[in-house]
Amino acid sequence: MNAHNDYLWDRSGQEDPDVKRLEKLLGRYRLVSSASPLPVVRRRSVAVWVMVPLAAAATLFIAVIGGKDAAFGPPASWNVSRVTGAPVVDSDRLSATTKVGEGDWIQTDDSSEAVISVGTIGRVQVEPNSRVQLIRMRSSDHRLALAKGTLRATIWAPPRLFFVETPSATAIDLGCAYTLTVDDLGRGRLCVTSGWVALERGGRETVVPSGAVCETRPGIGPGTPYFGGASEEFRAALARFDFEGAGHGDLETVLRVSNMCEVFTLWQLLPSVRAEDRGLIFDRMAQILPPPPGVTREGVLALDEGMLEVWGSQFTREEFMPCLTSCTASLSVDASQTHFGSVSCARTNVSYFES
Amino acid sequence: METIVDLTWPAGHLHKMKTQSPVAVSVDAQLVTLARRGDREAFARLHRAYASMVHGILLARVPRGEVEDLAQDVFMTAMQRLSALRDDNVFGGWLATIARNRATDFHRQKRDDVELLDDVTADPSSHTDAEAAHVLILVKSLPEAYRETLILRLVEGMTGPEIAERTGLTPGSVRVNLHRGMRMLREKLGWTS
Repeated sequence: MNAHNDYLWDRSGQEDPDVKRLEKLLGRYRLVSSASPLPVVRRRSVAVWVMVPLAAAATLFIAVIGGKDAAFGPPASWNVSRVTGAPVVDSDRLSATTKVGEGDWIQTDDSSEAVISVGTIGRVQVEPNSRVQLIRMRSSDHRLALAKGTLRATIWAPPRLFFVETPSATAIDLGCAYTLTVDDLGRGRLCVTSGWVALERGGRETVVPSGAVCETRPGIGPGTPYFGGASEEFRAALARFDFEGAGHGDLETVLRVSNMCEVFTLWQLLPSVRAEDRGLIFDRMAQILPPPPGVTREGVLALDEGMLEVWGSQFTREEFMPCLTSCTASLSVDASQTHFGSVSCARTNVSYFES
Repeated sequence: METIVDLTWPAGHLHKMKTQSPVAVSVDAQLVTLARRGDREAFARLHRAYASMVHGILLARVPRGEVEDLAQDVFMTAMQRLSALRDDNVFGGWLATIARNRATDFHRQKRDDVELLDDVTADPSSHTDAEAAHVLILVKSLPEAYRETLILRLVEGMTGPEIAERTGLTPGSVRVNLHRGMRMLREKLGWTS
């Protein structure tokens, strides 16, 4: 075997110019790994690092293992079924179950609910007062649009097969279960029950782990995820920071009212803020959750990915469990509460509401 | 000997599994075990590790425009049939077989009305694009074993040892496929080495 052969085998030895040329020519057909399931956070083009999952993934897909055959061929048809009341599919009232196709609208009023079987990969419950459109039903792209209202999605499929478009961001399933609400103004709220969900807008993604909530705004996109146990004062300051100009005063409030359940959000904010503010965040975080050995102020200020990961891994500790959100969501039907529905957090007994 | 393999996913805290031998049970095999129990993080990691292999195997057999959808089918099938895999150490070979079968199934469903050569219908915007499309067609005209191995090597960028490890083929077979396939490709291209 000559040196050229070694290069073909393992790229060792002298480069074979023919092989090199072919690598260059054919490399354009290589898999572009946009489908990577790694939950990479890309916030405001400032930093990229790997997110820590905060809860073990659910075991939902066991239900399909051995029970269903392969999803060969064209995507399975989608059914929509009535749960309560009289949901409408396009203009037809739904009395039982019907097949639906791309472009169809599903609408519920204040007394009706429906459930969509998403091919073979999951189910979506459409809560009262909601409007949902089926956008795409390809096997690599199961896509809905939530114009308003609330849906609860439970997906058992590899990451990035199920998408929900909203007026302010697209929710990309990275695993399992979540609740998504859109109000009349197009504002959204994602609450992840299990696994992770990415919120994407304009090519940037924010990954929201199980137990966390993330709000979105039209024209802006996703804000900073927070644990359900975060205080009302903290969430209000965070919303101002995320969606109303990122003022230093709001950041000061965010820091001042932060405690154990809020430190997760501070960690999320680190790459998003100006360098001078990053030091303030580090100092507050260090007071609440001292950095583990090896994690230094200098490293964090430099956004050292390894240090951020190590520090982020602390959020799996037992003491954070009460901070996590278990989103049992339902859209409020109270006429006086016209915008957001409520997302009640079973673990913390906190109820979110915006009118 | 007992060892603990850290199946960190993705950042240092999740899975630590005890195994009897670090040689007998690979990290991938442990991920398979976890995935079978319903751990989607483990499956996602397997997905990431094997996505290029599945992509390459399909690209060797079906038109380029079909690869992405079929790759998702392959992983869906794997996910649903994971309980049927008896030896977690052969996940790669098993997944490769699913991908090859999926490609065969694709052609059966299409009743041969879609040919591999439809890759040539791409509208090349430059001379280099046209040359690349031409070379891909030539690679795909090689015998199946050669074209699969060459595509994994030249398109997906895997080395021979990686191809063997991922697909479950022996290193010797991969090496032979690479060299014979490369020789045939050179002849088709009219390149003299």
